[in-house]
Amino acid sequence: MKMKKLIAAALAMAMALSLAACGGGGQTSTPGNNTSGSGSQTPAQSTPATPSGGTEISLWTYPIGDWGKEDKVKAITDAFTADTGITVKVEYLAYADGDDKVNSAITAENAPDLIMEGPERLVTNWGDKGYLVDLSDMIDDTDRSEINAAAMAACTHSNGSVYEYPLVITAHCMAINLNAFKEAGADQYLDLENHTWTTENFIKAVDALYAKYNAPVGAVFCKGQGGDQGTRALVNNLYGGTFATASHDKYTWDDPLNIKALEQLKSMKGIAFDASLEGGDEIKVFYQGVLKMAFCWNIAQQLNPNQADTGAGLTAGGDEIVFMGFPSESGKPALQGGIWGFGIFDNGDQAKIDAAKTFIKWMCDSEHTVDAVKTANYFAARSAAEGTDLSGIWADNEIMNEYQVLMPYLGDYYQVTTGWAGARTEWWNMLQEVGNGQDITTSVNTHVAAANALAAG
Amino acid sequence: MKIENGRGRAYKIMSIVILIILAFLFTFPLYWIVTGAFKNGADINATKPIWLPTEWVGTNFEKLMKQRTVPLWEIFLPFGSFFNNGEKVVLTAGPDAPAAFRWLINAVFMSVAAMLLTCLTAAMAGYALAKKRFNGRAILFSLIVCAMALPKQVILIPLLKEMASLRLYDSLWAVIFPTVGWPFGVFLMKQFSESIPGEILEAARIDGSSEWNTFSTVVMPMIKPGIGALAIFTFINCWNDYFIQLVMLASGSNFTIPLGIATLQAETSIDNGLLMAGATLAAAPIIIVFLIFQKYFTQGITMGAVKG
Amino acid sequence: MAKQSKPSMSRALQRRENIAGYLFMLPSLIFFIGFVVIPMVICIFTSLTDMNMHDPGLFGNFVGLSNFTRLWQDTAFLAALKNTFIIVIVSVPTVCAFSLWVSSAIYRLKGPVLSAFRCIFYLPVVTGSVAVTVVWKWMYDNYTGIFNHVLKSAGLIEQNINWLGDPKFALWCIILILFTTSVGQPIVLYVSALGNVDTTLVEAAQVDGATDFQVFWKVKWAQMLPTTLYILVITTINSFQCFALIQLLTKGGAGTDTVMYRIYWTAFKLTEQAGHFGYANAMGVVLAIFIGLLSALQFKLAKEK
Repeated sequence: MKMKKLIAAALAMAMALSLAACGGGGQTSTPGNNTSGSGSQTPAQSTPATPSGGTEISLWTYPIGDWGKEDKVKAITDAFTADTGITVKVEYLAYADGDDKVNSAITAENAPDLIMEGPERLVTNWGDKGYLVDLSDMIDDTDRSEINAAAMAACTHSNGSVYEYPLVITAHCMAINLNAFKEAGADQYLDLENHTWTTENFIKAVDALYAKYNAPVGAVFCKGQGGDQGTRALVNNLYGGTFATASHDKYTWDDPLNIKALEQLKSMKGIAFDASLEGGDEIKVFYQGVLKMAFCWNIAQQLNPNQADTGAGLTAGGDEIVFMGFPSESGKPALQGGIWGFGIFDNGDQAKIDAAKTFIKWMCDSEHTVDAVKTANYFAARSAAEGTDLSGIWADNEIMNEYQVLMPYLGDYYQVTTGWAGARTEWWNMLQEVGNGQDITTSVNTHVAAANALAAG
Repeated sequence: MKIENGRGRAYKIMSIVILIILAFLFTFPLYWIVTGAFKNGADINATKPIWLPTEWVGTNFEKLMKQRTVPLWEIFLPFGSFFNNGEKVVLTAGPDAPAAFRWLINAVFMSVAAMLLTCLTAAMAGYALAKKRFNGRAILFSLIVCAMALPKQVILIPLLKEMASLRLYDSLWAVIFPTVGWPFGVFLMKQFSESIPGEILEAARIDGSSEWNTFSTVVMPMIKPGIGALAIFTFINCWNDYFIQLVMLASGSNFTIPLGIATLQAETSIDNGLLMAGATLAAAPIIIVFLIFQKYFTQGITMGAVKG
Repeated sequence: MAKQSKPSMSRALQRRENIAGYLFMLPSLIFFIGFVVIPMVICIFTSLTDMNMHDPGLFGNFVGLSNFTRLWQDTAFLAALKNTFIIVIVSVPTVCAFSLWVSSAIYRLKGPVLSAFRCIFYLPVVTGSVAVTVVWKWMYDNYTGIFNHVLKSAGLIEQNINWLGDPKFALWCIILILFTTSVGQPIVLYVSALGNVDTTLVEAAQVDGATDFQVFWKVKWAQMLPTTLYILVITTINSFQCFALIQLLTKGGAGTDTVMYRIYWTAFKLTEQAGHFGYANAMGVVLAIFIGLLSALQFKLAKEK
């Protein structure tokens, strides 16, 4: 008896909910209510009320600075909607599983209209496979003169198509816990003015820290690909090895200099090869004050460590965080760049493609570009946009200004090498093997060979 | 009568002690979730574990609520787009609300819908398999038993393609329908229906009762405990079937709470307090359902298995 | 058991039974055939093709058994297969033995105590796989987890153990979580099976001078065989399906890759190898064959006893 009642109650509840839903559906079609995400999901019902344009486009974004935070993104997309009448439905992806999401959406013929990420995904993967729209008609000679040349090159596929319209750039770096360095007497090894250090000093500093804390102070994280630019930059810079050829068609991380670097890192007690961490996890452990240095760092992290809103440049315990270039023999690192912008998926609907292009133009090349760039917490990918000078937009921000010292060290953007997505898998698998004590040379050679097999297609 | 000797007693005491330790270990993760949800930032980020929160705070839940906003409730009409020029038909209600609430509602809706549909279809099919001598019965039943042993995840890719062509991708129905299709319920209900005496059915038939009437007034009451068990079983399974939710649901407004928590972890593995608040929210409803229906559940799964 | 149908059922009656039977089956069959049988058939069929994400068309080209021959040379897949078997071989017997022991220790306790224990052991199941995984991840944490803290303060270890990052431990850590989420149902089942053991047989055996052990083995165990078989089968299927744990904890790294995760990886991860649905489906078919074989074996063993 009781059972029956409960089931009946559940049924009644479900019906009440769906009734409520129906009632609500009626309401959403009244004018003025459809700028919210809800109304816009029912284009058929809301057509009469939508302003000119009336198109709805979807944007999937990775957490690129504050482009991963809803309140910030909403502010800027609302402004865009008010301006153009095009509504934007935003979904937020994570680096840990965002790629899988996009791939399963493509499989289900449900890809978003717009996607925000870097060339390693947009150009070498989805663009290369023909899912994206060529944006070269959006870029004229003025644009080419304004956009950072390296960024423009990275966003252009070898077939000449532009699959990403760049918005922001940065240089990835590392960070250290200054209080811990001082306690261990290791701050003497840092060039705090230029934010650089030499390999020799790095080794001394790690040893000093290990002597003080008797636990690993830095982690070569290798659970997955998240934040792997940090581990690559560390290994490459230590003795000046390279990751790929300048023509971006072959992987060269079997370079003896890289093997030497891996052997050096493996031999250091203060450095752990940790297969339980990815970049984001490493940042957390660093933020908690456990690790004394983080290899996955950039200006957005410096401004808001661990996205925890507990103060710029401070750990959870209030220790001071200093961003640093990666250690190199000369003290002049080659930093990995980050280039982020938008790509458009070709879903066969010209109206949506046009709306998406309007979106890109509005964000990346108009007077609104300042806001779009500031939302990302990085530097603008171009010097000026339709007459607005972008070079000085961070002038009032001390940290951003200071960070400029690292920008000249921007190195080759090799993440567009063919076979990239597979190669980075080989990279972290290799690091796991090295961490487990397998022979470094053999492991490196095997994985580089596999990566090059992919690059050869 | 068994005589309690010294060794027997010692064994008994020891096993009780071990059981209590085990009980502690099995409850600990839940304890850690709940306390973690109420710890403040300092406790969460402390490098040494804090066994009891130094202060109980709600900030983690506040943060969870601030993550995203989506409409509180939308219902997507399955197959509606075939009658609406290919546009999705989505009915929306309620103001924008924290996504976590929506995820909770989605998960409950999904599990309840799967539960109701499964119970109804499985009870009917189980009854037919047990009591109706139709042609092809044996083949159907063996097909069902075989399908039960296969892990449903292996059919993931075809299922995704199928959902895409039915335009159900990225809706809760894409999770609900395969759950209902899973034949465990039919199997269980068949086991229960076997115990209905044929004479009762015969008597109902002679009284002129229609097939449907016989089913709803005679059969249903007799297999009630089985339905209760199946209901809880389906609810828990559907709620816990993270894999299919992960593949089928794409937009933040369609996530379920387990999927939402997993996504939060992917985004911000960073904040354990936030994750524990989410985990608390994800665990609470299903634990409550379990505690309420516990009796039926233990009865039901036992009967199903013993008869199997 | 079902009543035997009369040998000579009249034709009209048979038709009536057919119609009624299929009408009752219909709602269930729509879902079963639509969302289980059809995808399964497609899965088997596409495992023989080079169907992938990038080419248009639903099925791709027929390539015979080459996906399967490729599987046996794919070291990553073979490693995943090996791990899957380790998980099954370790967790199935331990789950059975553990739940049998717990049930025999609690089934004679008083009602409320008994149900308290039953609930506690069922708790990890109803907490939900994702919630459980998230909290265990924190407990295992290399730097701030309680395991390392407790072991360190007890003086058992000197340096933190990287539970989920070290191939020596990671798979076992995952098996442990799987274990806690698997024993709930078997315990419930065994408790009631033990409660249903025919006491007259037990008493008779005791009068005949059988030891406790003999009573257990010869009388009770024999009566619990069907339950045990059921537990074996469901635990085997569950262990084979272990996915959320892998995806959320290690992503298949540190020697924890399983076939389920490999299928997902091959289908959707952004790598050059990804999107090969035919190949991924071939893995699924292999997994299904193994599960089928193992279940059949268990049935056979149980029947022989």
